[in-house]
Amino acid sequence: MNLSVRKIVISGILGAISILLGVTRLGFIPVPTPAGHATIMHIPVILGAILEGPVVGLITGAIFGLFSFLQPGAPFFADPLVSILPRLFIGPLAYLIYFLTKRINTIMAYALAGAFGAATNTVLVMTMATWRGYLPAEVSISIGVLHGIPELIVAAILTVVLVKGIQRVRPVDEQTSIKK
Amino acid sequence: MELTKNITLGVYLPGNTAVHRLDPRTKIIASTILIVILLLINSYQAYGYFFLFISAVIAAAGIPPGYALRGLKPMLPVLVLMWAFQLFLHSSPDADVIFSWWIFSATDAGLHLGNMITLRVLFLFTVTTILTLTTSIVSLTDGLESLLRPLKKIGLPTQELVMTMVIALRFVLILAEELDKIVKAQMARGVAFDRGNFIQKTRKIFPVFLPLFINAFRRAEDLIVAMESRSYTGGKGRTKMKTLHMGRVDIACILIILLFTGLMVLTIFT
Repeated sequence: MNLSVRKIVISGILGAISILLGVTRLGFIPVPTPAGHATIMHIPVILGAILEGPVVGLITGAIFGLFSFLQPGAPFFADPLVSILPRLFIGPLAYLIYFLTKRINTIMAYALAGAFGAATNTVLVMTMATWRGYLPAEVSISIGVLHGIPELIVAAILTVVLVKGIQRVRPVDEQTSIKK
Repeated sequence: MELTKNITLGVYLPGNTAVHRLDPRTKIIASTILIVILLLINSYQAYGYFFLFISAVIAAAGIPPGYALRGLKPMLPVLVLMWAFQLFLHSSPDADVIFSWWIFSATDAGLHLGNMITLRVLFLFTVTTILTLTTSIVSLTDGLESLLRPLKKIGLPTQELVMTMVIALRFVLILAEELDKIVKAQMARGVAFDRGNFIQKTRKIFPVFLPLFINAFRRAEDLIVAMESRSYTGGKGRTKMKTLHMGRVDIACILIILLFTGLMVLTIFT
């Protein structure tokens, strides 16, 4: 497998944004629940997947996961099975949804990819937290609903706005992620 | 609102102890082994041994104990909540009830589970804290690259992956500066970031995120051109300015970790 310079650089910069949102707490929107806050730290991962394909999504997700493991925002993120593993799936899944729906309507495809990417993060993290025994199932489900739904809506809107904005500064021949 | 004044990427605490001098590869492997052990521990006795071991490591690394635990402070309320959830919500049919109040009842099984999980999270946190306190991010990345090298044989572009990590680390600070400018510019236009309810706060994200991402992608395009015009071809034939060396202290550390693993396996599985 070969990584083009473009893929290396874009994954790196999106990873940087993800880390930045974490360290400045800008990526957290305070919500009064046990997990403390809704997050938008996974947005760069979704953007990477839509703009550059599943591999960039996967790498950005790995950087995001690694940092939430090394500087955990909630206690159970100190467990790599909760912090790193679920984050690897956000990018590839968001890309899959985008790929399947983009023929119908691109704007809708961006929104759906954003929503599914956010939902992947919430569902998988909560599933792992429950499976590893950090939270009882009832609590996980209520956190998932309380956080997941606002996160999903914010992610869907942000993804559309950001992809549209970013495409203005990208070279014309790189505007689709299907091109090899 | 000062967003970017004190960004600490990894909270490296410089020092010259045996733990600091260890090869980053040794530290990554040792931390991984300790984490795996922690994921398997299921008795107070094993946690006791682990506590003694970790205390010895903290002492050997010369980390003030208060410093090691400081990062835990903001998480304390969540930790207590997690413990309480297990205590009150864990249900098993034949557990003794310690006390009950209204619809909640605490069982001894719930108490045991709550303690186990809280201790596990506490120790996991301590292990990663010790790793990041005694190893700079740069040497962590170097160590990671060296450890991943065998995976190149199965076609994984390890050096390119490490390059993305390096770009990410470099760009955090550049983008932080940019973020600071954007936030200040928006505040000068009258955006009050710290006021409002959930929806109002969320709406204020957009005027910050859009310029941040667009500028980041502009920089990315520049960097791509710069790297391609210098014929960057990934890791092929590349050598390092500083190479990693395993020393006597690393062998000693590996021996200690192996001994400790043996002890833990005995305690966990008998």
